[in-house]
Amino acid sequence: MPGLPVDLDACIERLYKRELLAEPVIEAICAKTKELLMRESNVVHILSPVTVVGDIHGQFYDLLEIFRIGGFCPDTNYLFLGDYVDRGLFSVETISLLVCLKLRYPNRVHLIRGNHESRGVTQSYGFYTECARKYGSANVWHHFTDMFDFLTLSVVINNDIFCVHGGLSPSIHSIDQIKIIDRFREIPHEGPMADLVWSDPDAERDEFALSPRGAGYTFGAQVVKKFLEINNFSHILRAHQLCQEGYQVLYDDRLSTVWSAPNYCYRCGNLASVLEVDDSGARFFNVFDQAPENADNRVDQQPVEKAQVEYFL
Amino acid sequence: MSFSMPPPPPTSYPIARDVQTVMPTAVDAGKTITVGTVKITTRKLPILNAQEIETMTERLGIAPPEMIFGNNIVSIEKMGAGGQSEWGIEFNALDALDLVDKTGNDMLKVAYSAAWQKQRERMHEGIKEVVKPFDWTYSTNYKGSVTGAKQFEPTQDQIPLDKLRRQDPILFFDDVMLYEDELADNGMSILSVKIRVMPSRLLLLARFYMRLDDVVFRIRDTRVFVEFEDGVVLREYQEREESYESVETKIPPYRDDKPAIMRDPNQMAEYLPLKSTVTEKLVL
Repeated sequence: MPGLPVDLDACIERLYKRELLAEPVIEAICAKTKELLMRESNVVHILSPVTVVGDIHGQFYDLLEIFRIGGFCPDTNYLFLGDYVDRGLFSVETISLLVCLKLRYPNRVHLIRGNHESRGVTQSYGFYTECARKYGSANVWHHFTDMFDFLTLSVVINNDIFCVHGGLSPSIHSIDQIKIIDRFREIPHEGPMADLVWSDPDAERDEFALSPRGAGYTFGAQVVKKFLEINNFSHILRAHQLCQEGYQVLYDDRLSTVWSAPNYCYRCGNLASVLEVDDSGARFFNVFDQAPENADNRVDQQPVEKAQVEYFL
Repeated sequence: MSFSMPPPPPTSYPIARDVQTVMPTAVDAGKTITVGTVKITTRKLPILNAQEIETMTERLGIAPPEMIFGNNIVSIEKMGAGGQSEWGIEFNALDALDLVDKTGNDMLKVAYSAAWQKQRERMHEGIKEVVKPFDWTYSTNYKGSVTGAKQFEPTQDQIPLDKLRRQDPILFFDDVMLYEDELADNGMSILSVKIRVMPSRLLLLARFYMRLDDVVFRIRDTRVFVEFEDGVVLREYQEREESYESVETKIPPYRDDKPAIMRDPNQMAEYLPLKSTVTEKLVL
């Protein structure tokens, strides 16, 4: 890549081995990624075949498992729906690898922003702490979170499948209204940008409803139907919600949730999936269990069980 | 630098030695130990599937938390001579969530709610429907589900901490999650149950921890203590609570791991003042 003073292929090789990159390398890579992302629209149009990946949350070994199941870059095209960091143990390695792959194969790898790609949320849910622990300072966290401000908000596959991290917004009827959002900023608490990374479907309802939390929306069947009609799409594909089966299909196959962190937080026991969209645009969920590396280290294989015992009061 | 050849896919992978995973399996589906006539059982299974969540939602009348371990239990039973259970106390997610306020009277709002509402009213006056209000922080005053005739009575007795501080051998230990929710990135809410069984006694701690960012911290602890020899059961329920603002001033400024502390109920307990304690007793 012109102007990038690092060897991306060497970085990718190291990251596949779960080795950290040096801080100046991260800085250079994030700067270059910003330049690349800046040129992307808020609605990126791509063509199938593509494999769509939901929340990963720092579960690095499970990301490798996804590549083993779905194919490595650049043999397989990937669209990631966000929430790369927080909760899992390897957020730094996960986001480092994804960013290097994006830079190396900009037209074969697409990254959407999730609600965890934000300064506020990553301070509370683990990424900040992990950066500080692994690098001895918060610099790397600053490099990554500054870059997050440039991630796109949505992708449309084959002019037919609308992909976003969370869901729909009452401010958005047509995707043209997404295109005019000023996205180069921290995720705000309110407004269409917040709704896109935040909102959840509610299968019991037809319209938008307010969350009991006092901020945020749920969207119902008629909202989905109308949005698809206005934009001449057939399907909404999103992530954001944990499901035990690894995926969930709602509203007469008009919306799917794809969840890609198996055994979430290393203890939920859930399955995960990636959604493969083939040449013809047909969708297929590839469901998988946690990576065998995680399983190799199972807690119930004796001594660990003893080590966990604590004299709590 | 040249990009003629793509990097080859890796041929070997690092070993995840530092990942501790607890993938529930048959081993966790029912662990049990009996000391004298007291039987202790724990069960750890995956989170509920879509069908089970639907059933639970119907029974509760509210949406369950994001991570719902509805098949997990911790139970303590007094077994009769015929092997039947004469008395028991069980901790499970369904009963804990049934005690969450479903009226909306105890409802907290996220820190930026007022600003959000104002903005929203300007833009979307049409949307008035609120998803059935309930205490979405899932705060519960659950003290366990009791079966059998014997009832707890108020007591002045205290759980004997001196005996519990002794490093007696632990015959059985488990840490069982009942539910967890990230409050849509506004904090965390978590209910888990720990139990340790020693040769002469046992201690169970069901701890609910809730942090609503920029609003409040809350801990609700239920401890169950059983002395095997005389069959004395003590149950202690404590509430701790403090505003976010005041907790922030208590954590020393040199602690740069503040986010990590705020995720850890065990560390947070010392920063939250005790609001109430109720101790009860029964003899098996």
